[in-house]
Amino acid sequence: MATTTAVDLTSQTKPKKLLLQVAHDWLTTVDHKKIGIMYIVYALVFLVIAGFMAMLIRIQLAVPNNHFLSPQVFNRLFTMHGTTMVFFVGMPILFGFGNYLIPLMIGARDMAFPRLNAFSFWISAFGGILLYYSYVGGSGLYGAGSAPDVSWWAYAPLTEKVFSPGHSTDYWTFSILLSGIGTTGTAINIVATILSMRCKGMTMTRLPLLPWIYLVTSFLVFVAVSPLTAAQIMITIDRYLGAHFFDTQAGGSAILWFHFFWIFGHPEVYILVMPAFGFMNEIIPVFSRKAIFGYPAMVAATVSIGFISLSVWAHHMFIDGLGAGGNIFFTAATMVISVPTGIKIFNWLATMWGGKIQFKTPMLFATGFLFQFLGAGLTGIVLSSAPMDWQLNNTYFVVAHFHYVLVGAILFALFAAFYYWYPKMTGRMLSERLGKWHFWLFVIGFHLTFDLMHVPGILGMPRRIYTYEAGRGWDSWNMLVSAGGFIQAIATVIFVVNMVWAFYRGRVAGPDPWDAWTLEWATTSPPPDYNFAVPPSISSRRPLWDLKHPEDVDSHYEY
Amino acid sequence: MSERAAMAHNDGTGHAESEGFVQLPAPTIWPLILALGVSLSLAGLVTHWAITVLGVCLVLPAIVGWFVQIFPHERHEPVAVSTQIVPISTEWIVHVRPQPEIEPSAATTGRRQVLPLESYSLFVGVKGGIAGGIAMTVPAAIFGLLKYHSVWYPINLLAAGGFVSWASESDAFLAQFHLYGLLAGFAIHAFSSVLVGLLYGAILPMFPRRPILTAGFIAPLFWTGLLYTSLGILSPILDARINWLWFIVSQFAFGLVAGFVVNLQVRVRTPQFRALPFAVRAGLHTDAPRVDESLGDKNK
Ligand code: HEM
Ligand SMILES: [Cu+2]
Repeated sequence: MATTTAVDLTSQTKPKKLLLQVAHDWLTTVDHKKIGIMYIVYALVFLVIAGFMAMLIRIQLAVPNNHFLSPQVFNRLFTMHGTTMVFFVGMPILFGFGNYLIPLMIGARDMAFPRLNAFSFWISAFGGILLYYSYVGGSGLYGAGSAPDVSWWAYAPLTEKVFSPGHSTDYWTFSILLSGIGTTGTAINIVATILSMRCKGMTMTRLPLLPWIYLVTSFLVFVAVSPLTAAQIMITIDRYLGAHFFDTQAGGSAILWFHFFWIFGHPEVYILVMPAFGFMNEIIPVFSRKAIFGYPAMVAATVSIGFISLSVWAHHMFIDGLGAGGNIFFTAATMVISVPTGIKIFNWLATMWGGKIQFKTPMLFATGFLFQFLGAGLTGIVLSSAPMDWQLNNTYFVVAHFHYVLVGAILFALFAAFYYWYPKMTGRMLSERLGKWHFWLFVIGFHLTFDLMHVPGILGMPRRIYTYEAGRGWDSWNMLVSAGGFIQAIATVIFVVNMVWAFYRGRVAGPDPWDAWTLEWATTSPPPDYNFAVPPSISSRRPLWDLKHPEDVDSHYEY
Repeated sequence: MSERAAMAHNDGTGHAESEGFVQLPAPTIWPLILALGVSLSLAGLVTHWAITVLGVCLVLPAIVGWFVQIFPHERHEPVAVSTQIVPISTEWIVHVRPQPEIEPSAATTGRRQVLPLESYSLFVGVKGGIAGGIAMTVPAAIFGLLKYHSVWYPINLLAAGGFVSWASESDAFLAQFHLYGLLAGFAIHAFSSVLVGLLYGAILPMFPRRPILTAGFIAPLFWTGLLYTSLGILSPILDARINWLWFIVSQFAFGLVAGFVVNLQVRVRTPQFRALPFAVRAGLHTDAPRVDESLGDKNK
């Protein structure tokens, strides 16, 4: 593949810097690549913390009548686990990849508002730190401080002063508020960047699908995060100034909180899962050696998912007494989402169909994503019918469903993204051998845990219980579920080892290790500060293909 | 966005180049300080008021500092570029599958193949869905006439899925004409036919070779199976009263008509087809490639 382009090597030949200088560089940086990496590292740290909490929860539930944890500690653990995973792992890691990749993929030198970018990162990061500071706040480390214990949706009136005295709920509220500010800032930045910084020749119809998806997702962030922020402010006013927005005793409405929360909460799951779709759109074609099938349909499906996901939030409220009309509407709306989602799945399959598929680690994880996302969609359809939900709501079935999405789909897509873009970010390849161990162990652990978790749910095991009596038919299932959890933990350790090892010892990647087609591979790995020595100019959706095959350029094939 | 507009935006932040240097936004500590200040002002509410005071003390200089970074001129930092011609290298190893000897044709000698060669457009499925939806009403009406002497029965039954109050109504009630029943039944039926058609259209490109088999038989069987297992959940009242024999008959009516309509539609040529020489596309040459010749890009 002898193709040439103007890139430079200065970034590889810089002299070594003092530690203090390095720290200063990172703290003051406004470079989208550094900020992206900081987002990713901070999310990984929280991933390990929240994963460790999950292990504690699973130890507690592995056998009946267990007293490993106290009820109070258990409540705190699942609250912190859920909150951390959604707000301080999921969102930052996706914004991290977005930050890193979007300017590179659209041939820009930076984000539209580099300083706002730095601000958004830091305020989200401080939000996470504040959340964990709750462990040392109040009654200190050993009394586990004031860690919140109201779960990640903080239903009112439980969160009102009467039921949650002290400051634990305030920690939750304020950290969500801070992360909400950061998230909104990043979303503004992403929209502005994609709309105004594309390189010469990159029309919206030539925009790679990953930036397309981040564009739609960022719009969703505007619409969904604002109600959440408003709700946090309202509950703060309730708690500090004695208002009664959600205080049922004084004429406030708990249902109002549910609406505020889920009008954010459901789009939030799409905010998390859509970037995962974006990773698939980049990875599956490259490892199938085919162009993505149905680019326009993919864009249309993305946009319509964005719209529909805003109108289904109340499927989280079927048991709250919305009335038959509400239930029917939200059942139907929820089921409609399966159409654009189905279009995406079939287009991925059509992309793989007849391709020369190479099962490198990123592709393995992508394939796992496809299967598991399908499974998640099917249990979602089961839950979206109100009568079934009346049976299954607040059981382990729901927990199994959303972990199918959050772990089976989103985390798998993230792993795929790591194996795929790690060489670009660090200049070194992750080990394929460790990667395959990681993949297979994780798949086995995942299915052991979350396939089986549906069963105690159907048998009536409620969620958020801290222990249960023996002999209800839940025991052995729970033991297996916990065992699966540990297999996943081991796989994650392999992944972390792989990353650390590869950073120092991994094979040098070169600019384009996967023989890919999008612009981020047209510069060195890692890219220099300014991304491209000469800003690129493109004429098709696969600019690198054109560069490598001038005799057979892509624009002939575009439609 | 037009190309010219894209070009004009290309250097939106004024990252101008000058003689081997690129101007990038200068690093700054103020966003961090501002974020810290805001966080501390909130954190003070849960810890100690002094923390809030400290936070506010950080917010003010941070705002000023940030302002000064941008006004009157955005601060930039020149970064040296050393331009060198470097090959975009890849170590990607392509395993060439053993391939049967095939006669060289335009597509086999070309370097890549986009599969499938031709396919249906997504909206063909919608058309098929509408046609099938209309066709479905015939067996449903016959069933209603035979069993309840009323063509309204099936429609009301469908509508009952949307009217919870109808769940306990008698067969006689459902056999009467109700305007709301007609409207609701029509809406539900039209909506679901179109949606099923749309999904259909998404699946068809996967089976470009046997559209009649797929659209006419396999897909309706699939939908019926899916509905059979889930109808109890979707609409318990429908599930309780439905006659599955007639239901399957009407599903086949849907599938066959939808399949027929789909087959009438012109297939959309995929980019691969359009890349073939004109003589092949026009049908003057007969060496158009068959889809099943498994080919890869032979560019390695
Ligand atoms: C594929 C389409 C999907 C459908 C039809 C669907 C449907 C549902 C329904 C009806 C519920 C309510 C269950 C209950 O509380 O009783 C639910 C819960 C949940 N879903 Fe999904 N879902 C889908 C996709 C997703 C995605 C993409 C995510 C995450 C990225 C997700 C995450 C969740 C979460 C976190 C809950 C639990 C909410 C809670 O704690 O009450 N779902 N889903
Ligand atoms: Cu939802």
